[in-house]
Formats: sequence, structure tokens, C-alpha cells
Amino acid sequence: MQANTDRYSRQIIFPGIGKAGQAKLGKSTVVIIGCGALGTVAAACLARAGIGRLRIVDRDFIEYHNLQRQILFDEDDVRNQIPKAVAAERHLRKANSSIEIEGIVADVNYRSIERLIAGADVILDGVDNLETRYLINDASLKHGIPWIYGAAVSSDGMTMNIIPGKTPCIRCLFPHMPASGRIPTCDTAGVVSSAPFVIGALQSVEAMKMLVGAEDVSRDLITIDVWTGAFQHLQISDAPSPDCPACQGKYEFLAARFGARTTSLCGQNAVQVVVPGDAELSFEELARRFQEIGQVSYNEFMLRFAVDGYETVLFPDGRAIVKGTNDESVAKGLYAKYVGM
Amino acid sequence: MSVKVQIPLPLRGPTGGLSEVEARGSNIREVIDDLVASYPDIRERLFMGDEELNRFVSIFVQGQDVRLLEGLETTVKEGDLITILPLAAGG
Ligand SMILES: [Zn+2]
Repeated sequence: MQANTDRYSRQIIFPGIGKAGQAKLGKSTVVIIGCGALGTVAAACLARAGIGRLRIVDRDFIEYHNLQRQILFDEDDVRNQIPKAVAAERHLRKANSSIEIEGIVADVNYRSIERLIAGADVILDGVDNLETRYLINDASLKHGIPWIYGAAVSSDGMTMNIIPGKTPCIRCLFPHMPASGRIPTCDTAGVVSSAPFVIGALQSVEAMKMLVGAEDVSRDLITIDVWTGAFQHLQISDAPSPDCPACQGKYEFLAARFGARTTSLCGQNAVQVVVPGDAELSFEELARRFQEIGQVSYNEFMLRFAVDGYETVLFPDGRAIVKGTNDESVAKGLYAKYVGM
Repeated sequence: MSVKVQIPLPLRGPTGGLSEVEARGSNIREVIDDLVASYPDIRERLFMGDEELNRFVSIFVQGQDVRLLEGLETTVKEGDLITILPLAAGG
């Protein structure tokens, strides 16, 4: 206990937290969904700040190109093929052995999400795709748990707090998910590490503010460009939209009415990914992007590209077949990374 | 009325990489029309079908969501900063 008073002494001196705030942090549970750049930054901040229980959920392994910005991992983790959630848990235990840290290797989908967020006081978004974010949005509203959206790509980032019943949700502001292939991802547009560092840090401090009961929790949509140094507070409505299905209790992503469907193609060592909506992929545009990162060829019917050891065949309607795996979450992950969902 | 329009990453293809461009108009609708006239490839990314603005972007005037104002009919002043913002992915 003495060690912990000392451990947290510098943030207890800070008036916004104090002894009472520190005690609240110690009794809190935060679930971090996705443990890439945002997730590792947030997990590091929150574990060191003494959040009592930290659950870190991720479906991925660590690759060398993750080390540029995913601060909890090292070369041993890559060589040893350690899943991100496990590596994060191991590293953070060394930083703070006095809290509970639970790394869970799992795909977050409409079947698993409610179990994974159970008991959370705050959900922190560290995922790499929009589909899971709309799903987190539904689950957060359904269970009345605040979540903190954050995203970073290129040198840009944005973040926003969603407090069920009090603030607009992600669907209030962005009712539709963009069509597949239309959104830049870190794997196609690149990312400067400072962008997720800033956003992950802002998400962490907003989580701490919510947990200690601060009155000045952000109500803005915050955007940054770390390259130009621009920082914008965008003013959004102070209430949920009456037109928003999710805020009116219709959880369409949770009900799996939207969202990508994956099907393992029996005997072919391949998985089909079907995306919602009527995507119209531009093969010309995709091919330009894929040329930078792998081998690509296309005709008017399909586009083939090989990257990460898998061959993916894309169809103009957004459907994809990922060859070389029977694992549906691997196929979905590849699709999210390179085509975008 | 000449205004500055911030172009988000997914729309910078049509603007040749520019992250901020000038456009003219007295309200948001006219500004968007002018933007589309200058950069025609933006149209299919901003509109669903013929008329309706795509529902995966939010638009802000001087940092304020146009939904809090008059939507697309919101009037703009000389030099105003218009922000077009889709939800970003990436983590
Ligand atoms: Zn809503």
C-alpha cells in the first residue's frame, strides 16, 4: 500500500485527481478493445495510472511493422509469435503488478462483444476498422457504458466521448458506414506514430476524467494533424439525435443486420468476406494503393493481390475471397487492413 | 463569398492532394456545389445518388456542426472555415 501511495504520488498531487480520485481509479474497470498503436498507448497510460482492472482485447499477432508505433511490444514478441493481448499483459505487469490486467485474444464481433465489455465502467476504442466501432457503439448504448472513440491514420487523428443518453453517439454524427475501399487505413495510407500517441493519450485522460467524476469531460469532436500541428475542437450537439436508430434503442450492428459476414469455404483453404451495403470498388484506385505493398493484378471482373502471405481476390461488389487460410478472423482482419471496412 | 474548405484524407485524391481549398457560395449547399464544380471527382464521394449528401460525413462551419445551424442552408461569411469530416478508421 505504501508502495502504491508513492507510486501514484505525482498524480495524487494533481488537484483534478487527488486521493479520492485515485481511490476511484483503483476501483474502476476499463476495457480496451484493440491493442495496436492507440490501444498500447492507452493501456500503458491507464495501467500506470492505477486503473484497478484493465481488460485488453485483440485478435492479432505482432509483426515488425507494428513496432514503429505499438509501444508495448518488442522484437522478442515478434520472433516468439506472441499475440498482442498477451504481450501487452506481460509488459504491463512489469510496470504495475498491483492491478489486475487481463489480456484476451479474441475477435470482437456481435456474438462476443457483450461478454467482453461486461463489468466495464468505460470502453476505450483501439480498433483498426469502422465496423467494430459501430458495434462498440451499439453495445455501449445498450448497456449504458460510456465509450471513447479514437482513430489515427496518416498524420491525422480524431477522438470523441460517447456517453449514452447524454451525448450524440457515433451514428448520430455519421449515420452510415462508408463503403468498403473508400477509407484510408494505416496499412494503405501509412501512419506517423505521433498521431496515435496523441489520440491514445487524449482517450486515456478522458477515461480518467470520467472515472473520477470530473465535470469537464470533453463534449467536442477533437481532430488533430500532428504534421501541421493543427488541433481543432469541433462543436457537436449536446444531446443524442432523435433520428438516430442506435440512440432510439435499435442496435442494428449488434443484431448483426450490418457488418461483414465471413464464411470459411470448405476444402478450399479460403474464406469469403461479404460486406454490407452496395460497395462499388474502383479496381484502378485499389491497385494503385496495393502496388506499394504487394503484388497486384486486375481485370474488369476481379482484382487479385498478394500480401502478408495470403492471396486475396476482390470482386467489384466488395466481396472478397482470402486464400491460404480457413480462419475467418484472419480473413476479416486482412480485409479491414487493406480494403477497409 | 469565398471560404476555405478543409479536405479530409479520403477526398484528397480528387483535389490532387490539397488539404485545404477555396470555394465560393453564400451557404453550405452552394459551397459544396462550387467544390464539386472545381473537383468533379468529389461528387461521387460526397453524394448518394443525385441529391442527398452522403451520410458518412459531417460538415462544420467555423468549428460548429451544421446540424446545430441550418444544415446545408447554413449561411457562410467571407473567410469562414468549412470542415468536411468522415469518420476516421485506423488505430
Ligand atoms: Zn446516436
